[in-house]
Amino acid sequence: MDEEASRTARESLELVFRMSNILDTGLDRHTLSVLIALCDLGVNPEALATVVKELRRESIPDSVTTTPS
Amino acid sequence: MEDDDQQKATDLVQELVLRLVSQNPQTPNLDPNSPAFLKTLRYAFRILSSRLTPSVSPDATAIAESLKRRLATQGKSSDALAFADLYTKFASKTGPGSVNNKWALVYLLKIVSDDRKSAINGLDSSVLLPNLGIGDGFFRGGEAKKKDCNNGVLLVRKDPENSRDEAFRKYAVLVKDENEVNEEVLVRDVLYACQGIDGKSVKFNSEIDGYAVQDSVKVPRATRVMVRMLSELGWLFRKVKTFITESMDRFPAEEVGTVGQAFCAALQDELSDYYKLLAVLEAQAMNPIPLVSESASSSSYLSLRRLSVWFAEPMVKMRLMAVLVDKCKVLRGGAMAGAIHLHAQHGDPLVHDFMMSLLRCVCSPLFEMVRSWVLEGELEDTFGEFFVVGQPVKVDLLWREGYKLHPAMLPSFISPSLAQRILRTGKSINFLRVCCDDHGWADAASEAAAASGTTTRRGGLGYGETDALEHLVIEAAKRIDKHLLDVLYKRYKFKEHCLAIKRYLLLGQGDFVQYLMDIVGPKLSEPANNISSFELAGFLEAAIRASNAQYDDRDMLDRLRVKMMPHGSGDRGWDVFSLEYEARVPLDTVFTESVLSKYLRVFNFLWKLKRVEHALIGIWKTMKPNCITSNSFVKLQTSVKLQLLSALRRCQVLWNEMNHFVTNFQYYIMFEVLEVSWSNFSKEMEAAKDLDDLLAAHEKYLNAIVGKSLLGEQSQTIRQSLFVLFELILRFRSHADRLYEGIYELQIRSKESGREKNKLEEPVSWISEGRKGLTQRAGEFLQSMSKDMDSIAKEYTSSLDGFLSLLPLQQSVDLKFLFFRLDFTEFYSRLHSKG
Repeated sequence: MDEEASRTARESLELVFRMSNILDTGLDRHTLSVLIALCDLGVNPEALATVVKELRRESIPDSVTTTPS
Repeated sequence: MEDDDQQKATDLVQELVLRLVSQNPQTPNLDPNSPAFLKTLRYAFRILSSRLTPSVSPDATAIAESLKRRLATQGKSSDALAFADLYTKFASKTGPGSVNNKWALVYLLKIVSDDRKSAINGLDSSVLLPNLGIGDGFFRGGEAKKKDCNNGVLLVRKDPENSRDEAFRKYAVLVKDENEVNEEVLVRDVLYACQGIDGKSVKFNSEIDGYAVQDSVKVPRATRVMVRMLSELGWLFRKVKTFITESMDRFPAEEVGTVGQAFCAALQDELSDYYKLLAVLEAQAMNPIPLVSESASSSSYLSLRRLSVWFAEPMVKMRLMAVLVDKCKVLRGGAMAGAIHLHAQHGDPLVHDFMMSLLRCVCSPLFEMVRSWVLEGELEDTFGEFFVVGQPVKVDLLWREGYKLHPAMLPSFISPSLAQRILRTGKSINFLRVCCDDHGWADAASEAAAASGTTTRRGGLGYGETDALEHLVIEAAKRIDKHLLDVLYKRYKFKEHCLAIKRYLLLGQGDFVQYLMDIVGPKLSEPANNISSFELAGFLEAAIRASNAQYDDRDMLDRLRVKMMPHGSGDRGWDVFSLEYEARVPLDTVFTESVLSKYLRVFNFLWKLKRVEHALIGIWKTMKPNCITSNSFVKLQTSVKLQLLSALRRCQVLWNEMNHFVTNFQYYIMFEVLEVSWSNFSKEMEAAKDLDDLLAAHEKYLNAIVGKSLLGEQSQTIRQSLFVLFELILRFRSHADRLYEGIYELQIRSKESGREKNKLEEPVSWISEGRKGLTQRAGEFLQSMSKDMDSIAKEYTSSLDGFLSLLPLQQSVDLKFLFFRLDFTEFYSRLHSKG
């Protein structure tokens, strides 16, 4: 049931949010929900974490510009 | 569907990047379509498409556990509890709307929080682990002093001149240079290697015959050496495992045997303990521990160094097992147990305990075999591992040949004397069961078991209880031997049989022998072909009935028979006659063929001696009326009378000499050899504790008789001279007989002629010869007789001389006494020295 599913989803998100707060990751609910969705789709969690880390840097590295993907 | 997902993913990523960038305090709020944003987006995609593999296994619970532990150790115990609670709730959510890939999520959280923590702590992020190694954008060895990017890693420096930071940076460079492989990975690989499985970087290298880090993988040399050392455990493990599998494969082919199986079972037990340890270590390998120093981060509990500490004890045990495996590849059964036992003589308590438990397993089949052999006489040995081997033999050889010790299979913790006892006990039980038809030994066996504190059931004994085993064996041996001897003495009347043999075969029953000789004697002078054994058997019966032998036990008399030995054409009855005694089971263990043939030899010898004695007595009987003979020749001339007298005298003298010799020799044989040996044997029979002792005593008895009665190998020459003497005596007998016959004839004729003188003349011619003819004949006769007698006498003296000279050379002390008695007046020695 949709109701059920959405409730479960909300609760799960809430739990995860609280866990991430305890772990002090600094992620907010929205970002977390996106991350959860990506994980579920099968994206490599290590890679995701790296993205998060990199994009939290204070400055963007120059090498990114010199080596295109 | 996939495209759909792909599109969704892209959208999501975009969304994510947007949010993160907007969150980032440094970058201003970017327009989603600005080039900077797109750059970032591209970068993000690149990262996502790179093949970063997580270095931990996808176990959400384990990660959650480690997170919780981390929190706890950081002092935030309430947080840890809350986290645990949340996680349990989270994990229990299944079904639509929940997160499917929980592991990924938790892992993500972990990494992010790690990073966050390190970022907050202001660490030099260049020291971060190489999970930042991003695809192909990996530059090496950049200038450390540069403030900007180096290897795609940002440098956040607090103090550019700080040498500590410099050092760390250099270290990070080096580490990245050489450390392609995570230590965690290596640890896991080593753990795999220790179970004989090839890991990612650590594989089995057949050139060096061991596990080593592959050459293609770059690790520092120290780590390489360390891995090599730790993988020795893997090599040893491999060896032991191959041995076990091989043995298990070979088992149906019956080459391995029960002891080998027990050994494999014990090894497998040890290996299962080892597996347990490895499982614990692997579990530990997942969990990170708190960091002591800030400058290093390790994400797992186990490092190679810690592994080496954990592996110390298993290494020792595994080494032992590998050594044993090497030793025991070719051994089987008791030999294997003995070899393992030798290795157990070790001072180190760890090794000692280990070996004890191993040996207990290994020796249990052996001890079981010993127990069943000693208490039941059963030899259950399908693989030929026991040190007692049985052979199928005839019943009468059961004791001597039926069971033997196999010294190759004797383990070293069982001494040879104990092994002998074990052999003898089992043999006795089998002997009782087979030969004596006796079943009382089972009681004896259970008594023995009760006395030594074990039971007659299986599994009463184990290795390390060699004393208990010895005790059991000694008790069993004592009782069973006693039982056996009881049976032999009471039921089978062993002593009585020996006595009967002595009386009949060794001519102990004098009156019987005398009668036999009287009856059989004349018959035996005929050629052997004319004699029938039935007749002789009849004579034997008659002799038995006539003497005291008739009162003897019928059973024993039945066994006494006459035997005609195989003979040629020229043999006389004397040469082929003998008595034999039939021995049945179980006594034929003692009285075997060879023993009986020895008895036969002695009997022949004694029979010859008896014959000679009998001959001499015969002469004595004819010689008795000497004076009467001399009186009846008053009518003859004096010269003839003198001749007669001298002939008679010489005959008498010779008879005396011969009699002296024969009597003394007979006395020597009868008393000093036979009786003394018999009394010794009786004493030993009393003292005998088991059948082996009895057999040995009997052997000694018989050998003593054979040796002392000059029948042995060394006495051949003296035996020859003895037989020459016997011959001479018999010849003398026939001469003497002839002499006396002649004298009687003359006597009768002279009486006749004397009487006839008063009568009318007779037509018979020889009577009318008259006194002169008679005298002449007498003279001639007597002359020839005297000459013969002289020759006999001379021969006799020389032979006796020869005999006496050989006598002192014999080894037996009693023969010296015989020599003394024979020559007590030194008559012969003086004769010898004179001539």
